[in-house]
Amino acid sequence: MKKARKKTVAANGGSLWPLRFTLNGKKVSAKVQPTQTLLDFLRIEMGLTGTKGACLEGECGSCYVLVDGRPMNSCLMLAPQAQDRTVTTIEGFAHNKKLDVIQQKFVECGAVQCGYCTPGLIVAAKALLTENPHPTREEFLVGMEGNICRCTGYNKILRACELAADEMGLKKK
Amino acid sequence: MSQPIDNLEEAVARLHVASKSSSAYESGPRKVVGKSAERLDAVEKATGETKYGQDLFDKKFLFAKVLRAAHPHAEILRIDTREAKKLPGVVAVITHSDVTGTNMHGLIRRDQEVLCSRKVRYLGDALAVVVAKTEEIAIEALGRIKVDYKPLPNILTMEDALKPDAPKIHTEGNVLGEKHLRRGDAPAAMREADVVVEDIIQTQTVDHAFLDLEAGRARYDGKMLTIEVAGQWLHEERRLIALAIGLPLEQLRLIQPATGGAFGGREDISIQIYLSLAALKLKGKTICLRYSRSESMVARHKRHPMRVHYKLGAKKDGTLVAAQVTFYVDKGAYASTGIAAMRKASSHATGPYKVPNVWADVIGVFTNNNPCGAMRGFGAVQTAIAYEGLMDRLAVKLGMDKAELRMKNLIHSGDAVTTGQIVPNATGVECFEAVLKKIDWKNRSYETAAPHLKRGYGVSVICFGLGYGDGFPDASRARCKLTADGMVEVYSSGIDVGQGLINMIAQIVAEEVGVPLERVRPILADTQLTPESGSTSATRQTYFTGSAVQLAASELKKQLQDIAAAHLEELVYEIKIDNGEAYNVFRPERRLTLRELAREGKRRGFSLEAMGVYKPPTVPEDTATGQSMRAFVTYLFGSHACQVLVDTETGEVKVERYIACHDVGKAINPDQVIGQIQGGVTQGIGMVLMEEVVMKDGKIMNPGFTDYILPTIRDVPEIECIVLENPDPGGPFGARGVGEPPLIACGPAVMSAIQDAIGKPIRILPATPERVWRTISEK
Ligand code: FES
Ligand code: FES
Repeated sequence: MKKARKKTVAANGGSLWPLRFTLNGKKVSAKVQPTQTLLDFLRIEMGLTGTKGACLEGECGSCYVLVDGRPMNSCLMLAPQAQDRTVTTIEGFAHNKKLDVIQQKFVECGAVQCGYCTPGLIVAAKALLTENPHPTREEFLVGMEGNICRCTGYNKILRACELAADEMGLKKK
Repeated sequence: MSQPIDNLEEAVARLHVASKSSSAYESGPRKVVGKSAERLDAVEKATGETKYGQDLFDKKFLFAKVLRAAHPHAEILRIDTREAKKLPGVVAVITHSDVTGTNMHGLIRRDQEVLCSRKVRYLGDALAVVVAKTEEIAIEALGRIKVDYKPLPNILTMEDALKPDAPKIHTEGNVLGEKHLRRGDAPAAMREADVVVEDIIQTQTVDHAFLDLEAGRARYDGKMLTIEVAGQWLHEERRLIALAIGLPLEQLRLIQPATGGAFGGREDISIQIYLSLAALKLKGKTICLRYSRSESMVARHKRHPMRVHYKLGAKKDGTLVAAQVTFYVDKGAYASTGIAAMRKASSHATGPYKVPNVWADVIGVFTNNNPCGAMRGFGAVQTAIAYEGLMDRLAVKLGMDKAELRMKNLIHSGDAVTTGQIVPNATGVECFEAVLKKIDWKNRSYETAAPHLKRGYGVSVICFGLGYGDGFPDASRARCKLTADGMVEVYSSGIDVGQGLINMIAQIVAEEVGVPLERVRPILADTQLTPESGSTSATRQTYFTGSAVQLAASELKKQLQDIAAAHLEELVYEIKIDNGEAYNVFRPERRLTLRELAREGKRRGFSLEAMGVYKPPTVPEDTATGQSMRAFVTYLFGSHACQVLVDTETGEVKVERYIACHDVGKAINPDQVIGQIQGGVTQGIGMVLMEEVVMKDGKIMNPGFTDYILPTIRDVPEIECIVLENPDPGGPFGARGVGEPPLIACGPAVMSAIQDAIGKPIRILPATPERVWRTISEK
C-alpha cells in the first residue's frame, strides 16, 4: 500500500478499508474488510455471483477474474489488493446480450455442462487469447491447466477455445 | 443392426425407432430427437447469470455452521453450548435435544443421527448447528461449544472391525450385511479348470469432487419450510427431513437451485437437514449454510474402497468355466446406499462374460472411516477393474491375445448374465469390435522414442444394469401442459446436474408433441410443482423420466388432436401436429397454432394437461443365490481401448490415445452423449491414475484440491467416441442411458494398458507414478 488509508470501524469491531478500483468498466469505491477475499467481496458485497469458488486454495481456476488483463485466483487475493486496478469478471464479458466470442463458442461446442467451471474457464481463455492470439496446442494446455472441470473431460473446452481463436483471428484480418 | 457413428453428422442421419406415439401419420424423420441442440441453459451459465446454491446468499440473512466430531469413535458425555450462546451475534445453537423428530436419517437404513446424542462414528458426524448474524461469528461460536467425549478404540481397517472382540460401531455389530451369488458349482468347476488365475485387487477411497460446494438456504414462514439446496432426489430428501425434524411432508418444499455436478455425491442428504432444523427454530428468518472444501470432503460419503479376491478358471482354449469372488467392502461409519452398491458388485461379478459357474460373496464392514455410498459407477466400477484385471492375467497365462480371450467369452443376445437374467439385446461384441477396429488392434505398435519409455494397450468390455433393480420400486412421473401463451410446459423432478437432462426432456416433448424446441418450457425439481421422478442416479433418468415425459407428451398430443379435429371438423386420426401447428394431413391449408389450440381447448373443457408414469417392474433377487429373472430393466454395453506410455524411470503414465464405444439405444442429443462419455472417461482416468482420499486414524489427510489430485486438461487425450444405437423397447425413442458406463469401462482399460506396458499388474489403486515405479522395480 502506498498511502496510509483512512479506516472506519466495521460492525464486528474490525476496521474497514476504503477501496477504489475499476470493476467491469465502472469506477467503484467501497469500504472493505481487509481480510475479505476478493472472491467474497465480489460475490457478497458487489452481488456479482458469476465468479465461483470451489477449492478456495488456488487450485481450480473457478474463481478467475481478470486483474489488469491477467487471470488471477480471486480466492487467493484480498479485496484491498484490487486497489487502483482494473478487474473484469464474467459479468463484464457479454455486451448488450451479445456474447463474447469465447462464450459463444463454449455454448456452441457443448463445452458447458454443469457450468460451474465455465466462468473461470472463459476468463482463462480470454487472458490467454488476448496475450497470444494464435496459441499452439501446447500453449493452450499451459493456459488452461489451472482450471479444473469435473464434468466435460476438457475435449469440448479445448475445441471451443481453438474455434474462438480462429474466429478472433478472422475478425482481426 | 446399427452403424457405429463417429461424428455428429452421421449421428443425425441415423436409423429411427418407433415411438410410443399413437398417431397414425407419424412417419418421417425425427426433427428434434437425435439432434445436438444447444443446452437450453448454456447461455446463462456462460454469462454467469445462473444461480447455484451459494449464489442465493445475502448479507441480511443469517448464517449457520455445523460442529463436527473431534474423534472418529467416541461416546458423547456432555455437550455444553452456554459459552457459544453468549457470543454476541449468535442467534441459536441447536443440538440433538432441540430436534423434535426422529433425529435419524439414512437412505436405505436410517442409522445416522442428524445431530449426535450418544456417540460419534466418524469425524464428519455433526453435533450442533450454530446460527449467527455472520458466518465468522458462527465459526467463532463453534469453538466455544464444549463437548466431553469418552474416546473409544478407532476401528480403521476391515480386519480390525471383523475381529471377534472388536468394539461395536453400531449396536448390531460391525457387519452391514452380505450379498451372495450362486450360479452352478464354482468350486467343483474350478477344480476341473485347465488354467486358474487368482489375485487380490484393492481399490481406493474416491471423492466426487464436484466443484459446486454444498450450499443453500432455508426459511420457515410458519406454514411452509422451504429449502433451496442441490440434491439428487428431492422427494426422498423431503421424506427424510420430515421424519428427522418432525414436520409433516406437506409443510416442506424443496427447490433445486442450479447444480454444479453431483456424481452421486448429493445422493445422501447433506446440509438440507441442518438448514431445516435452523429454519424451523428461527421462524421468519432466512438461513444460509455453505461448506468449505475441507468440510465438504470430511462430511460427505465416498466411493467404497473394495478388496476383491478373485479366482478365475478356464479351459485350455480360453473358455471360462468358473469364477469365485469375494468382495470386502469398507462401508465406513454408516450404511448409506452401501447394500445396493454391494448388490451391484455381486450382480456384475463377471461383467459381460459368460461364466457357467459363479460364486460371489460380498461383505460390507463398518469402520470409523468416512461413510461410503453412491458415486457414479456404484459398485460396478471396482468390480469391472477386478474382472477385467483377471481376464488380462488369464490371457498372459494362456499365452492368448487378450482381445481374443474376451471376444471368445462375451455374452450374445439371448445369453444370461450372472444373475440368470437373459439379455435380449447384448451388444458387447459390437462395441468391442468397434473399438478394436478403430485402434487397429492387430497392428498396434510398441515402438517408442527411448528404451525407458514403454507403450501399452488396454481394452475393456462392460455391461451395466440400469435403474435400481431387484424389485425395488422404481418409477418416474412427468406432466405436460399447454399454456395459454402456446408453450408446452413439462414438469419433472429429474435433476440437471450438468448431464443434460433439461435437453433430454425438452427434446423428447418437442418431438412427441410436434412442436419446435423453443416452444417447450421445462420446469424442473421443485416439490411443490413437479411430480416425483425418482433419483437422478443409476443412469436411470433418460430411460425412466424420458419415458414418463414421452407418455405425458403423447397423452397431451391426443387432446390437442381431439381439439383440432372438433374445431376443424375433421377426423381425429388424420390430424397431424407438426412444427407447432395442427392440421388435417390431406387438407393442410387450415391450421391451428398452439395458442389457438389452447384457447379452443379451454373453451371446450379440455384439461390441456397430461401425466405420464413409467414404472417397469423388476424381480427381487433370491437372497441365497442372487438369481433374478429380471434383476434390472435393461443392460447397457460399452467397450474402451486405449494406448498409454509409461516412463519406467519415473513411473509416470500418459494416456496417449483413448477410444470409447457405448450402445446408448438412441442418442436423444448426440453431443450431450459424447459429453457424458468424455466426462466419464476423464473421471475414470482420475480414479486409476491419481485420485485417492488418504485416510489416517480416521482423518482425511488431503481434504482439498492441493493434495487431492484431479485430472486437468493435460491429463486427457482426445477421447474418440463411438455411439451405437440399438434401440431398447423400454426406453424413449429406444434410448437406454449413458451416465455411468463410461467411467466403469475406463478404469479397467487403463489398468490393462499399464500391465501391457510394464509386464506386471498393478494390484492397488491408484496407479500413481510411485506405485508404478515400485511395481516395475520389484523383483
Ligand atoms: S476457488 Fe480459487 S482457485 Fe479454486
Ligand atoms: S462443466 Fe461441471 S465442472 Fe466443468
